[in-house]
Order: sequence, then structure tokens, then C-alpha cells
Amino acid sequence: MNSKVALPAGRFSGLLLKVNAFLLIALVLAASFIGLVAYKQGWFVHQSPLHFITPNALGLNKGMPVKLHGFTIGSVSDMQLSEGGVDVQLSIVSEYLARLPKGSRARHAREAGVIGASVIDIIPGEGKEPIAEGAQIQFEPARGISEIVDDFRRQAIPAFNEVKAAMTQVARAGEDVTQILAGLRKEVEQLPATHRAVRDLLKEATFATSELGLQADTTMRSVERVAGAMERSIPVLTDKLAASIETIDAAAGQLRKTGEEAQLTLKSARPLLDHGETAAREAGDVLTAAKRVWPLSDSFKENADGMLPIDSFEAQSKGGRR
Amino acid sequence: MRVLAALLLFALAAACTTPPKSASVAQSRLADAESRAAALSKAGDYAAAARHYAEALRLATSLENADAIASNAINLSVVQQWLGRDAEARAALSAVLDDPRTPFSERRKLQAELRRAILDLSSGNLGAAAVWAGQAERRCPELRCEYAPTILNVRAQVELASGHGSDAAQLAAAAAERSRSSGSRAETANALRTIGRARSLQGDQAGALDALKQALELDRELGDPRKILADLAALERAAEAAGDAAAARDYRARSVAVSKAMNDGRSAAEMDVLLRR
Repeated sequence: MNSKVALPAGRFSGLLLKVNAFLLIALVLAASFIGLVAYKQGWFVHQSPLHFITPNALGLNKGMPVKLHGFTIGSVSDMQLSEGGVDVQLSIVSEYLARLPKGSRARHAREAGVIGASVIDIIPGEGKEPIAEGAQIQFEPARGISEIVDDFRRQAIPAFNEVKAAMTQVARAGEDVTQILAGLRKEVEQLPATHRAVRDLLKEATFATSELGLQADTTMRSVERVAGAMERSIPVLTDKLAASIETIDAAAGQLRKTGEEAQLTLKSARPLLDHGETAAREAGDVLTAAKRVWPLSDSFKENADGMLPIDSFEAQSKGGRR
Repeated sequence: MRVLAALLLFALAAACTTPPKSASVAQSRLADAESRAAALSKAGDYAAAARHYAEALRLATSLENADAIASNAINLSVVQQWLGRDAEARAALSAVLDDPRTPFSERRKLQAELRRAILDLSSGNLGAAAVWAGQAERRCPELRCEYAPTILNVRAQVELASGHGSDAAQLAAAAAERSRSSGSRAETANALRTIGRARSLQGDQAGALDALKQALELDRELGDPRKILADLAALERAAEAAGDAAAARDYRARSVAVSKAMNDGRSAAEMDVLLRR
């Protein structure tokens, strides 16, 4: 028996076209994805190679970013063993190559100090011309943990020693403070006795003051008596003093007269004195001049020289003089 | 007439004198220090005099005044020796003797060398004293300069200290002759004292006593108690050597009296010890 499956008319019409369209879309999507990835990977950006040789490439990986001032300018593109160690190839975006002057160096660093992601940090050189494409640059390997710890230890040990010394001093000061506190405690224990002694002293002082008051009263009475006696004697003394003052006044008048007479005498003698002074000055001048005149100069040799005598007696030894 | 004569004399003096130069402050300070030092040494305040002579020496050095440097250095050495500071006295002279650059006059060099000889002899350095005295003598041509008697006396004392009595007596006699002719009584007395001591060393006690008595007379006229004491001490030794104990005792007693009057307690104590023997 021949059986036929009946298909709806037009069910597969244009099937080939539809399959082709589907495949085309899938291809376009795949190509877009690949293009996007390539763009993201910088496959469309022109890269300039640089390289450095390091004796130890531990910590360096292919694809590791290369940064300048913290900004990514390229990546590690390849690593190969060479004679001096490992030749590390860097791909730098050509646009940024102009910002790397000659003498620039690469160093292995971490983005967050010791524990961040590893990067190649470019330290710009001091040259003025930009570095050439494909040039070799210097590389500074990263310091290991042990080196960092050693460095820290070297810097920290003196500080620790000082802290230790300071702590020792503080401990000694603590001993002193203990002694001071002990002494203070003793003094505080003696305070009641001191207080009692001060009170006794105050009592004695009060008693002495009252006695002194009594004695002062007696003394004042004696002074009053003496003042009375003086009051009686003073008029007599005053009379005697008045007589003496009159006598002194008369003597002073006489002295004044004598002084006036002496002044007159001096006034009359003044021209004579002036003449004498002038004559003496002239005589001195004449003598000084005469000393310098040749025939007389020898007579004044001793005075003109101003020398102390050079006496052979001084040559005698101290024993010889006796 | 008298006024006219005075005016003439005044005019003559004025013509002979040069107008005084205006002295700088340092120069007037130098003159002041020198005059103060001279007055203090005359008054017997030797310590203060030494200070002023040292100041004058410093000022003269700052002014590069060669003559003032030399005169003040020599005066300072004299005063320092009077104070018993022989080392300082010798150091003061080095300002002249150890400075070949400054043009000191021959007279000042002679004075400094003579002072150095005196200092060396007083400290018992006979060799150096002879050398310095010889150096000074070379600056005194034919021993006709004013310091000839002093040089001869120093040389005579060097010989005496060396035990050469006859040479000492000869040199001292030459010194006495020259000092008499120059009128220097102090050096005449020094020469006579050296003659007396030299004769005593040679055993001529009578001649020694004669010379020493002459020296004593001159020193008493000059009024220097140190020299009188030295004469009396030499007379005492000569009288003792001559065997005249009474005269020796008399001279000792006079020495003690002079020494006590000089307030030299040390010397008086020593003489007291001698008298008690």
C-alpha cells in the first residue's frame, strides 16, 4: 500500500534564503564581537616596541601593563630568554612614545605599595629628544620582601634602641618617684606633730607679746619723765645757744670782711701772677728750644732720652749681692 | 734792655725749633704711657711702671715707632728685673733682639744687648753674658761710647764669676778709668767694688778693703741702699779674710742695719744668723 504524507503547501518555500540570512547575521555578529574585542585589545592602535633585559624575570608577565605617571601607555608584549637573562618586549602606544625622553628607565612596581598589582613603571629620563622606536632601556628589578624588611630593620633599630633607653630612664625615674613618695609619706606622718609645735609657738608668742606690752608701758612712762625734764632744761639751753650764735655771727662777719680784703689783695696780685705764668711758659719754651740747639743738646741728654739707667750693678747675681 | 734780650732769645729759640706736628691719639697715648711709667718707676711703684711700659711698648709697636719700641722694651726689662721677674725681663728684650726687620739704631741695639748680658750674668749664665757683652762691645767702637764703662764692668764681673781675678781686676780698672773720665759715678763705684772683690779673690785683702771703702763712699753719696749693702757685705768678707774679726763684725752689724732699713726681712734674718755664730 503506498501512503503519502501530505505537507502544507508553501511550508518550506524560501527555506534556503532564510538559512542564508541566518548564517549571514550570525557571521556579522561574530565579526562585530571579534572587532570589538580587537578594538578593546588595541589591535587597531599603532604600537612601538621597546625592550629591556633583566637577569631575573620573576614577577613579570606577558600582558602586564606599562605605565607612565600611573597612566597605561602599553604592555609587556613578549618575553624571551637571551644571553643576559630575559629579554622583555614592551609595546608602547606610538602616540605616547614622544613623551618618553632618552634615558628613561623601567622598574617593576606595584600599584598599591607592597601588595598591589604588578606593573612596569616608566621613569622618564632627563634627555630632551624622545626615545627611539625599538630602543633598549634600563630596568630596575623590584625589591623583595626580605630586602624591604632588612631596610626597615636597619632604619628601625636605632629608633628601638632610643625607645629602650628612654624606657630604662622612665623605669629609673619610677624608682626615684617611689623614694620621693616614701619621703613625702614620712613628712605627712610628721605633720600632726609639727602642727602641735606651731600651736605651742603661737601660744608662747602671744604670751611674750602681752609681756612686751607691759614693758612698753613702763618704758613709755620713763620716756614721759625724761621729756618733762628736757622741757624744763630746753629754755635754759636755748638762751645759751642764742648767745653762742650771736658770737658766731660776729666772727663770720669778721671773716667776711677778711675775705673781701683777701679778694682785693688777690685781684691786685692777679696781674703779677699772670705775668709770672707767662714768663714761666716763655722760659719753658726757651728751655725746650735750647735743648734742641746743637751746642747745648748734650747737657740735656739724660732727660731727653727717657731711659732708665743701664747699671752693671744689676748684673750681680742675687747671691753675690749679699 | 732785659725785655729786648728775652725777645731776642725767644726769637732765636723759635727759629731753631720746628713747628710741632699734630700728634695722633695713639701718639699722645704713647707719650702719656711713657711719662706715667717714668713717674711710677721714680716713685718706686715698679709693678705699675711695668704695666705702663708694657702698654707703651704695645702702642709703639702698633705705630711701628722703632725707637720707642726699643726704649720701652729696654725700660720694661729694667723694671721687670727690679721686680725679680728675670724671665719677663728677658722676654721684653726679645722685642729688639729677635726682630731683624725693624730698623733699630745701633745705640738701641747696644743698649738691648748690654741689658741682655746683665740679665744673663745675674742669672748665672756666664757664657751667654760674655757673648752678649762682646756683641755690645762691637757696637761701641774702640770703647769710646757712653756705655763703655758699663760694658767693661759687665765683662769684669763675668771674669770674676769665672774665677779669673786678675782679668777681672784689669777690666774693672779700665772701667773705673773710663767712668771717671765720663763722670759716671755709679759705674765708678761698680768698678771699684769689682776691683775690691777681685783683689780679695787674689788674696790682696788690704787692696780689696781700700777699693771697697772707696766704692762705699761713692755709693753712700749716690744713696743706693742695695749697693751700700753689697759694699758692706764685700767689706765684711774681706775683713774676715784679712783676719780682722772686729771689723768684720762691725761691717756685719752695719749690713744688718741697712738690710732691716730696706725692709728686706729675708736678708736681715740671714745676717742675724751670721751674727749669732
